[in-house]
Amino acid sequence: MFKKKTLPELIDELRSNENIVNWYEMQPQEAKTTPFDDSVDPRIRAALQKRGISDLYTHQGTAFRLASKGENIVAVTPTASGKTMCYNLPVLQAIAKDDTSRALYLFPTKALAQDQKSELNEIINEMGIDIKSYTYDGDTSPAIRQIVRKAGHIVITNPDMLHSAILPHHTKWVSLFENLRYIVIDELHTYRGVFGSHVANVIRRLKRICKFYGSNPTFICTSATIANPKELAEQLTGSPMRLIDDNGAPRGRKHFVFYNPPIVNVPLNIRKSATVEVNHLAREFLKNKIQTIVFARSRVRVEIILSHIQELVKNEIGTKSIRGYRGGYLPKQRREIEKGLRDGEILGVVSTNALELGVDIGQLQVCVMTGYPGSIASTWQQAGRAGRRHGEALILMVASSTPIDQYIVQNPEYFFDRTPESARINPENLIILVDHIRCAAYELPFKNTEEFGPVEVSEILEYLQEERVLHRNGDTFYWANQAFPASEISLRSASQENVVIVDQSNVADVRIIGEMDRFSAMTLLHDEAIYLHEGVQFQVEKLDWDHKKAYVREVDVEYYTDANLAVNLKVLEIDKSRISGHGAVYQGDVAVTMIPTIFKKIKLTTFENIGSGPIHLPEQELHTRATWLELKDTDPELGTKILEQLLLGIANVIQHIVPIMVMCDRSDVHVTSQIKAAHTGLPTIFIYDHYPGGIGLADDVYKRFDEVKQAAANLIKKCSCKDGCPSCIGNEIEGINGKQKSIQLLSYL
Amino acid sequence: MSSLRDRMNRLRGNNASAAPAVETVETVEDVVAAEPTPSPAAAQDHLETLTEEWSSMGVKLLHNEAGSFLIRRQIYPAAHKHGIHGLDELSSSVAGLAAFHQEASPLEAEQLLYLDLETTGLGVGTGNIPFMVGLAYWSGTELIVEQAVIRHPAEERAMLFYLSGKLAGYRYLVSYNGKTFDWPVMQTRFIMNGYNRSLWQPLHLDFLHPSRSIWKNTLTSLRLSHVEEERLGIERVDDVPGSLAPQLYFQFLADGNPEPLRGVFEHNEIDMLSLVCLSIRFGHLLNGAEGGYQLPMPQEPEELIRTGLWLEKMGHTERAERMFELAVQSERAAAAPLSMLAARDKKAGNWERAVLLWQKTVIQSVHYGSAGINASVELAMYYEHKLKDYDSALSYVTEALEQALSDPLGRRDAKRRAELDSLRKRKERLLRKTGRKLAE
Repeated sequence: MFKKKTLPELIDELRSNENIVNWYEMQPQEAKTTPFDDSVDPRIRAALQKRGISDLYTHQGTAFRLASKGENIVAVTPTASGKTMCYNLPVLQAIAKDDTSRALYLFPTKALAQDQKSELNEIINEMGIDIKSYTYDGDTSPAIRQIVRKAGHIVITNPDMLHSAILPHHTKWVSLFENLRYIVIDELHTYRGVFGSHVANVIRRLKRICKFYGSNPTFICTSATIANPKELAEQLTGSPMRLIDDNGAPRGRKHFVFYNPPIVNVPLNIRKSATVEVNHLAREFLKNKIQTIVFARSRVRVEIILSHIQELVKNEIGTKSIRGYRGGYLPKQRREIEKGLRDGEILGVVSTNALELGVDIGQLQVCVMTGYPGSIASTWQQAGRAGRRHGEALILMVASSTPIDQYIVQNPEYFFDRTPESARINPENLIILVDHIRCAAYELPFKNTEEFGPVEVSEILEYLQEERVLHRNGDTFYWANQAFPASEISLRSASQENVVIVDQSNVADVRIIGEMDRFSAMTLLHDEAIYLHEGVQFQVEKLDWDHKKAYVREVDVEYYTDANLAVNLKVLEIDKSRISGHGAVYQGDVAVTMIPTIFKKIKLTTFENIGSGPIHLPEQELHTRATWLELKDTDPELGTKILEQLLLGIANVIQHIVPIMVMCDRSDVHVTSQIKAAHTGLPTIFIYDHYPGGIGLADDVYKRFDEVKQAAANLIKKCSCKDGCPSCIGNEIEGINGKQKSIQLLSYL
Repeated sequence: MSSLRDRMNRLRGNNASAAPAVETVETVEDVVAAEPTPSPAAAQDHLETLTEEWSSMGVKLLHNEAGSFLIRRQIYPAAHKHGIHGLDELSSSVAGLAAFHQEASPLEAEQLLYLDLETTGLGVGTGNIPFMVGLAYWSGTELIVEQAVIRHPAEERAMLFYLSGKLAGYRYLVSYNGKTFDWPVMQTRFIMNGYNRSLWQPLHLDFLHPSRSIWKNTLTSLRLSHVEEERLGIERVDDVPGSLAPQLYFQFLADGNPEPLRGVFEHNEIDMLSLVCLSIRFGHLLNGAEGGYQLPMPQEPEELIRTGLWLEKMGHTERAERMFELAVQSERAAAAPLSMLAARDKKAGNWERAVLLWQKTVIQSVHYGSAGINASVELAMYYEHKLKDYDSALSYVTEALEQALSDPLGRRDAKRRAELDSLRKRKERLLRKTGRKLAE
């Protein structure tokens, strides 16, 4: 038996590790408190005192004061700063004072809603006041639903449920809507991109219904640190907001460490794989029984790391105590993992950003990130998983060889000094807006002078009338269609149709093990793909594209699969343009066609290519917003071949820069280059939104193009490789002096 | 306008469907040109002179302080016969319906309001609008069938105003699935138009529920149109199926020609009459011979048993027993209904007949079927626990196990494995018990 090391010992050992490139220590912070307001009900105060809460942190006090006055607030609260008190206190106070008061809590996921209910009910029980709080989601049984509608003081739900079950049946919720005093929106920062744009419209519908029943609720939002919490909250709710950011919660000492894997091939600047390094680092902590969370960028990566770590520690702690966690697992499985983490039964978890959110998994000691999570805000969220109020905690970010990872570990000031990103939404995306106007008209007839957000909607109403969805009589548009519009609209993904994954390993016990959106399924669930679920490998035997089903069977193979997607793009309409040096930047509509071509089989241990096969799936078309950069005249001496290489390299760099500039997932924005664009024949780089109609990301790039250009040039300049590597413009091509030429090309513009 | 349409088509990737979409625009424009949206004042004039098409259907205009809407009123004398029943039979059978709510005060025909809606969609969401509200009620010796119709959604307010005054006069709401559909839809409409949500709280007589109890396995469908054909002797000629009603109404909304609604009126009217006959039917059933009417006994043993079980639930034990006896005597009784009755007898403590029924069931289903296996198990339990006859119990459980193992139609899932496990355990226990008996 070896002696187990403590976390401080392991931290000390790590200090001498030569791969550590930056060590940042966050000092512990003392609590800043304020006494309870005199108006707080004595029963609430007593209940809180029983839990050892005799004062409020300053931000909680401010939240209570403003919300009680009816001011809409958005509180910026890091992990474990007692953010729930910011809304629970004003809500409970309002109900204690007036039993008819109601509150609606919105959480981005069902899991968070469940957590909140348990926490809330504990306080309520101690208060000894008859306050009923219920979750209302797809799992709520019909018998309970009745009670929730009629008697629930606090209804805890998610935007999807509000959209498809509550609003279209608002007449069953009269007592909620007539008396709605507060609307709580937790995890505000998660409402961005397509999802956020949908939710902003759902909230417009919600406000419309409240107005119908004569209530005018106050919004209480809480958000992780982002650059524009007030702007996002105002855009999402359509109401003016007061920002609360005077965090008064204490925190323990935290070590934030950047780890850069060693270079294994000097000329090509190739580093050891981050995944391999993470496996070994995580093992050190786990075998010393230190609770550790490992974050990975993709679902596939999660499963690969999980199986490796399980293999590494199987003799020391058993594979059962290391689990995976990501979207696609069934809810029951996830609840079980969350509970295991809280109880300490599960020692390690490998997760996608699914665990970035406030799911209650207790306090972990170490957080290991496989690569830069993509945004500063997201990084802080993941880091918040390690260490709460007291004691030391370690956060390790292991850089991958992508340009942005290398940029960040080599320029730590960029990360630690820069304000986090802004969260963008575009509720006016035409497809999204029209969809929600359909839903809104189903819920209540529309007057043609009525407002729905800041835009004029009479044109859309007339369009829907022509489509025979609405019927006009005088100045009012009525729903006149057999459909139930909310069921046709999903808030979460570009396509409503998800592919269901059917496990037929056991013919006598065929079961559904998960689902995946249509676009991801093209490259992850094609015939013969290896699909990993909870560390178990499955091979796709047949992808039934027409019926959106993937039939899989458990296998045990030494490889995973990686698919190529061929993208074609044409310009439909140019909205804006400006000359920029020897080129021009444009903004407009484009049509993108995508078709998966082949897949490669990659060996798990060495990551070498060991085979490939074709993928036969129909082409998918996407009409969206794009910003593109056109080179008017280029140095003719460059030659087409080299120019093509340079464009590819610059596109590669921009693909990495843009997501951090506009805060979105890497998959939300795509970059592609063409040596001869179809509409002009000129060399062009396109940056487009990966959602029909766009969600404002490419538009944002147009506005901030100079910044993007500057950052791209900087990244290439600062990269330590000789003349091109996967971290910047891609692999070096002998003798073309690619880095210098790329920078030249950029400065040309 | 077209630019918005073009953009929508492009974003949705609808290039192929662009052509038909343009056609739609043209038709819509034609209609708009021919019939400009009337201003409220012009509309008023338009209403006063209801067109020939409407009046040929017997539709009249009704004004009230909330506006106007259309109503079609048909009067049926009590002597009218619909299928096998005459409407006048209600007076002799209505008292029986009191059993539904165990009301102390006697139930009278004048307290019943029959309701059946034709709506623009499915479900009870806020966008599903009842464009036709069918009502029926008794006035003296006449049955009045009233159908309120709106020519566009704005007329709903006036129709609801009329209905709100009407409803309060009745105590019972008679419907087919009205408890979960028609009445919740109406409630939603009232709330959306600013009425108090507890405007009227009727006692429901929803005949879907007893129909399901009684005819669940004997009729292929429980739709009213099927039940009436099979059990009330009603035959519809050229009926417009209810599922087409929304489309026909939207067609009318688009072109203003009410002709397609004729069929919907007729369909709804027959629904109303069938509903009245169904109330007669259940009234007779609950009333027994007291009303002086002898309802023909069901032919099928399954229907006899199910009717008996329902009557028993409604408090008519004696008549239920007569049904059970008839079923037991029937040669044609199948295993499933027999075991249903056996389960009832077991609960009621009528072991004698329960055992008889289980034995019959076992014989009936020698070759397959879970009913036979269950009956064998029941018999095994009876012999083991009641009679302490372990040998007989063992032989029954052995038979059950053999049958379960050889069942070619049996499921192959966890539930079945659990069933087999419990059979094996039972058998082992009985083997032990019989073994001990020998040792003594």
